[in-house]
Amino acid sequence: MSFAILIIAGLIVPLFYKKHITVAKIVTAAAFAMSALFIFMGNDLSQFFNYFASDDATRLIEYVVLLTLVAVSVSLTGFERPMLAQMLFLGGISLAILETTNMFIFIVLFEAIAIISYVLAANIRNYYNAEGAIKTFIAGAVAGGVILLGFAIFSVITPSFDYATMEVSSKYSLVAAAIMLAGIFYKLTIVPMHGWASDAYAQINHAVASILSGLIKSVILVAVFKAFYPFFKSFPSVSVLIFSFFAVVTMTLANFMALWQKRVSKVLAYSSIAHSGYALIPFAAVASKYAYSGILYYAIAYTFMQTSVFMILNGLRKDLGIKYIEDLKGLSKKSGVYAFFFTAQLFSLAGIPLLAGFLSKAVAFYAGVDAGLWPLVLVALLNSALAVAYYAWLVKHIYFDAPEDDRTSTIPTGALIGQSILLAGTIYFGIVAGQVISSSMM
Amino acid sequence: MAFLMIFLPIFLSIVLYLGTRKDESQTKYIAMGWFGLQLVYALVLLSQLPEHGMLDLGTYLSVPEFNFDLKLQVDALSVIMLILTAGLLLLVSLTSWEEKNQGGYFSLLVLFSGPIFGVFMTTNVLWFFMFWELTLLPMLFLVGVWGGERRIYAAVKFFLYTHVASMFMLVGFFLLYKQTGMWDISMIKEAAIATPALVWWLMFIGFAAKLPSFPFHTWLPDAHVEAPSAISVLLAGVLLKMGAYGLIRFTVELMPETTKEFAVYMLAFGLVTTLFAGFLAVYERHIKKMVAYSSISHMGLVVVAISTMTYDGLSAALYEMVGHALVISPLFLIAGWFHHKTHTWYLDEMGGIMKKAPYISAIFILAGMAGLGLPGTMGFVGELTIIVSAVKSFGWWIAIIALSGLITAGYIIWAVRRSIHGEISPAVEKAEFVMSMPERVGLSIFAILIIYFGIRPQPIFDLANQAFSFLGGM
Repeated sequence: MSFAILIIAGLIVPLFYKKHITVAKIVTAAAFAMSALFIFMGNDLSQFFNYFASDDATRLIEYVVLLTLVAVSVSLTGFERPMLAQMLFLGGISLAILETTNMFIFIVLFEAIAIISYVLAANIRNYYNAEGAIKTFIAGAVAGGVILLGFAIFSVITPSFDYATMEVSSKYSLVAAAIMLAGIFYKLTIVPMHGWASDAYAQINHAVASILSGLIKSVILVAVFKAFYPFFKSFPSVSVLIFSFFAVVTMTLANFMALWQKRVSKVLAYSSIAHSGYALIPFAAVASKYAYSGILYYAIAYTFMQTSVFMILNGLRKDLGIKYIEDLKGLSKKSGVYAFFFTAQLFSLAGIPLLAGFLSKAVAFYAGVDAGLWPLVLVALLNSALAVAYYAWLVKHIYFDAPEDDRTSTIPTGALIGQSILLAGTIYFGIVAGQVISSSMM
Repeated sequence: MAFLMIFLPIFLSIVLYLGTRKDESQTKYIAMGWFGLQLVYALVLLSQLPEHGMLDLGTYLSVPEFNFDLKLQVDALSVIMLILTAGLLLLVSLTSWEEKNQGGYFSLLVLFSGPIFGVFMTTNVLWFFMFWELTLLPMLFLVGVWGGERRIYAAVKFFLYTHVASMFMLVGFFLLYKQTGMWDISMIKEAAIATPALVWWLMFIGFAAKLPSFPFHTWLPDAHVEAPSAISVLLAGVLLKMGAYGLIRFTVELMPETTKEFAVYMLAFGLVTTLFAGFLAVYERHIKKMVAYSSISHMGLVVVAISTMTYDGLSAALYEMVGHALVISPLFLIAGWFHHKTHTWYLDEMGGIMKKAPYISAIFILAGMAGLGLPGTMGFVGELTIIVSAVKSFGWWIAIIALSGLITAGYIIWAVRRSIHGEISPAVEKAEFVMSMPERVGLSIFAILIIYFGIRPQPIFDLANQAFSFLGGM
């Protein structure tokens, strides 16, 4: 039911959003709320199909996904309104991919999310947006092709697509899984498959970037871990090698690239890529009982933080024309509320305690230490400290520099509600770790 | 109540900032009221402390699967730090009476007061780290917004430097948890008798950078010079003490065997810090930089005392920690006030201030003399006990540490000679030396405490006796 409600609401909402945007937003929010209620009541896809299963951890990330989508939906204005329907479809597909226990369904849903991301990116208002949309589409298509190649090989080898019984022990299945992961790495923006993302996130509409770089990436992280966990367990040493290598390369390159950027969106794009690198650590630490907790916590925290910063940038671009870091000068005086939300989420991304970014990193990185990968964790922590430099640089412009013009901006009510929801999530999971860890211990 | 002492200020600071945007005049009174409450709470804890062991204040936010909870416990060591913190926050408020943008300034001080209490109250290693890092945020803004000309450089450098060092410490904590399966200090203590050297060194780097010990000290002179003087007091009086507190709590107390093995390195770091920073102070023309180097030099003495790992040494370290906070604070405050009035930082451009501001000059001289170890002041007791304990532990050769007293005498007397006495310089001639009553009261309290505890050091040593009772088992 939770899935069906979102898909049906996604079909209904386009009837309202042109003339009655408030009604459309209420319907959207109500659909998300009802969906969450049905999840709470245990009325999910596993009730109707054998290819799905839900547990506490899945339900937790589902609530986070729905809450984030509510926050984004209430913030949308103007030409972004058609995105409401896509938010609902994305919500439905996200629930399904998080619940599935079948590799075939996983691949289908993965492609469905890719199609939604193309539609979202097609929210084009200028040439710049168009370039970003084309990059998103081409990279997505290439990734889709690579994943399908891997899946085709895998389908020849395995007698079953069920996660529990699929063939994961032969070297051919390892090759198939590696090819599929190579495609997935495009979506997760892992270096060297990241090139499209640094441009696309910066060029497409920032509200769309918030979904692509924040929510979709987080959902894929969790779903991929669940789908590929049997492979990781069968080939632990290969997993450690591959994921450690890509984690170090991704976080280091992205952090150094972020340091040199002049556009705020580019800094956030590279920051997003760097976070993908950190998120690979629990993948490398598959031997640890905290690996899944690390992934789950990272995904939850990252959803709130990354979605929020791009949504704020979206508002700042529209209201104050902010594109470059220099434009942020004196933001605290131009728009104190935007400045506060932006700073809090940037600090969370930087891993400052009492915000979700810290505890999620702590759990994810501890999984690495627990698996004996402490040198990798030390590199990640030093990278994290390096990243503080560019976050602090943004904060320096926001609070310490004087404004260069006298334009001011008041945050719209919808955005205020949306940002409050996202910040509440960031603070809550920055202090309370119990639910995430207890629901996801392996 | 303990939980509120940590988390309430975080919300109070936001309410205070938003609620006083139209009329900032009340902010300082509310902030002082809060700091007063914290001081009273710390004194109540002092009265409730058991003879030995820790006073349990409750466990919150429990995650059993990760053995992770916010356990709050205090002993004499933590209570002394709490009293020192709350007391300094009150005095800093008095000496910031005329600070600009009071809404933001005092809100940030209130924000600082929460996590710093957390640092000294929690016995959970990961929560300790979280509070430790959180103290950086208000400091970043206090230095970055209210500081001098190069404030942004200094604030960002301070933030990044200490943050990077903390990352090493965090890996150390992770490895400790992996070894013991526990985050709580009192439980780790029993399980981590033979801790790997790597863990010790990772933690040491984190604490040494905060102290700061040579060669991790370069962030401090910039931060001190650019910070407003009252914030320099917090940096020197509280933030640096976090490093010393961490060294005692996490190396000496938690990993005694490993610390014994590396005590000689700790001693070397302490000695070099003391002498090197002392020599830098001698060559310094900039009055606040001179005080900053003096502060580093004295913290080096604390490291030397800690490296003895004896009851005498740790008691001396604790006494010196309190003494350092009370002695260095008026020096920073008066140095900043001199600059504010004369518009110069350079000692050789000052001169004859005694003739125009005798009361404040007298306090500067008193604090300076305490710094060089004049009998009857806290400096004398602190330095003497450190030298005696170090000689007892390491032999007579360590008496070279007494050189630090001579070096301090060199730069303090030279500074007094140049800025306080002598002919009135043009900069001093033009200046109007008027100080507000709250600022005078604040400085006077420092002066009284320097002499009081210099003559009657016993209350601090009594607490040290309670704090280091665990050494009885060594």
